[in-house]
Amino acid sequence: MGTPGVAVTGLARAAFSAFRVSIRLRVISPWAYLNWLVFPVLFAAVGLYVLSSPGAASSHVVYGVLGGGLIGYWSVAYLEGGNGIQEERWNGTLEQIFATPTPLWVILLGKICGGLLFGLLAFLPTAAFAYVGFHAVLPALDGGRFVISLGVLTLSFFCIALTLTPLFALWRWAFSMLNGFELGVYVLCGFMFPVAVLAPWAQGVAGFLAPTWAVRALYASTLAEGPHNFATWWLATIGLSLAYLAGAYFLYALVERRARMSGQLALA
Amino acid sequence: MTTNPAIEARQLRKTYTTTRGVFRRERVERAALRGVDLKIAKGELFGLLGPNGAGKTTMVKIFTTLLLPASGTALVLGLDAVKDQWALRKRIGFVFGGERGLYWRLSGLDNLRYFADLYRVPPEVSRRRIPELLERLDLAGREKDRVELYSRGMKQRLHLARGLLNDPEVLFLDEPTIGLDPVGARELRVIVRELADAGKTVFLTTHYMFEADAICDRLAVIRDGVIVAEGTPSSIKTLVHDQGIVEFEVVGMPVERLAGLRSLPGVRSVAISEHELAQVVTVHCARPADVMTRLGVILDGIKLEKVSSREPTLEDAYVQLIGENPTNSEASP
Repeated sequence: MGTPGVAVTGLARAAFSAFRVSIRLRVISPWAYLNWLVFPVLFAAVGLYVLSSPGAASSHVVYGVLGGGLIGYWSVAYLEGGNGIQEERWNGTLEQIFATPTPLWVILLGKICGGLLFGLLAFLPTAAFAYVGFHAVLPALDGGRFVISLGVLTLSFFCIALTLTPLFALWRWAFSMLNGFELGVYVLCGFMFPVAVLAPWAQGVAGFLAPTWAVRALYASTLAEGPHNFATWWLATIGLSLAYLAGAYFLYALVERRARMSGQLALA
Repeated sequence: MTTNPAIEARQLRKTYTTTRGVFRRERVERAALRGVDLKIAKGELFGLLGPNGAGKTTMVKIFTTLLLPASGTALVLGLDAVKDQWALRKRIGFVFGGERGLYWRLSGLDNLRYFADLYRVPPEVSRRRIPELLERLDLAGREKDRVELYSRGMKQRLHLARGLLNDPEVLFLDEPTIGLDPVGARELRVIVRELADAGKTVFLTTHYMFEADAICDRLAVIRDGVIVAEGTPSSIKTLVHDQGIVEFEVVGMPVERLAGLRSLPGVRSVAISEHELAQVVTVHCARPADVMTRLGVILDGIKLEKVSSREPTLEDAYVQLIGENPTNSEASP
């Protein structure tokens, strides 16, 4: 194997090692269970209670079934990016990983993939809770389109996390925006209710967020009534996600330089 | 002496910019390094001494590619720490003092395996090297315990194992013995000396004079971002070779009597410290014998105990360099 091959193998091993460490840290962290187990079930319970009430559209019940899981999935994926970097700073490990021969984005790629895998678990307790507690089901599930939509949604979460993480590495104050952005995406991307109920200006903002289109496709894959433009929604998600990635490319170059200028990787 | 240095700094400068104020933000610049020149030979154990905020850690962070200098050149193994960071990071190791910098909820073994992968150590090499390091640093048998269960000394040894995973040619140690008990600190010093004897170049920063005196081949003293002395430990001591030190204990000495001591010919400084019920007085002077002769007259009526005269130590030289000398001093090598 030539030198480039060895280099790629080494980077892949580093990313997989970061993935493995991310999973291990989540498994032994009690806080992670709040994000993928407790909070999603709470959101699902509230959503199902409201959406199952007399007079509510039956098609909206799917928002209760999937909404809690989506929130949990997003929380874990997003926090792995933002909070993960802050945790590294608190532990004093951010400088240690930054100074290794592995680029920061490779390490974060592994960590974020670990967060995504862990975040997917959030669908299990909410779906089980919806079925057992409310006898709620996905009425017209199109398995193939559902899986593709979930995959496209995962890509969008991955790209957002990978893009936002360098901001947290670079600017400690950005951490204070963490909760606001997390909540904003719940609301704007239609995790628990259709985006159509939002104000027109909010719908405009939502259009620039990649998960909005993937979530729309995800819900559509569980409902019979249309219109369904899966290809358009998937392409919109992929296009916006790739645009975020292009931004991330420049952000990581900026982080590499600015962090070395300011010394802000250390806690103090 | 250093024709092909392992580490070299040429006119290295670093300035930190911060802001202060809430409504009227004001930029404040603080110079951490003010034109440092330094050459360290391959295989040398070099110690950098200086008080807090003198620029020691800043210099280590520049050499380890964590910080960019404002100007000047930082070379390690001939590689530019600014431009060649990816090539350089594979060939150096670093350890910062203190307990942080490890994943406490993972085992020591998991920490080492993770960093071995980040340092791109081939698996067949890390499978052999990690047990060797665990054995050498006396962590074997505890490697599967979570790091949070380790003593401070064990954590510091684990830090050192992490710093050696890629078998670095140059190792940077930033106050590695800080907070360790005397036994742990001594063990670590022995290991560091062995590493240097095995051919690794070691750049060590420390507050502890005896540590620097005991293990370093050469030293530099930095104050306010400027190297104020450089040389072997014995050559740095020669900076105060014209001085002797007289120490004695007294009980209940009035402060005004100190003026009498200070007025003696050849006395450079008089320091007093409390030691239980007694006061320990340290007099730096040119002619200790003269001072000892006159002590009886100046301290008439005061009980004098444990009068002694000794040669200046590295700490005495350091105190003089840090506290008194405003300009560069060059010790003879």
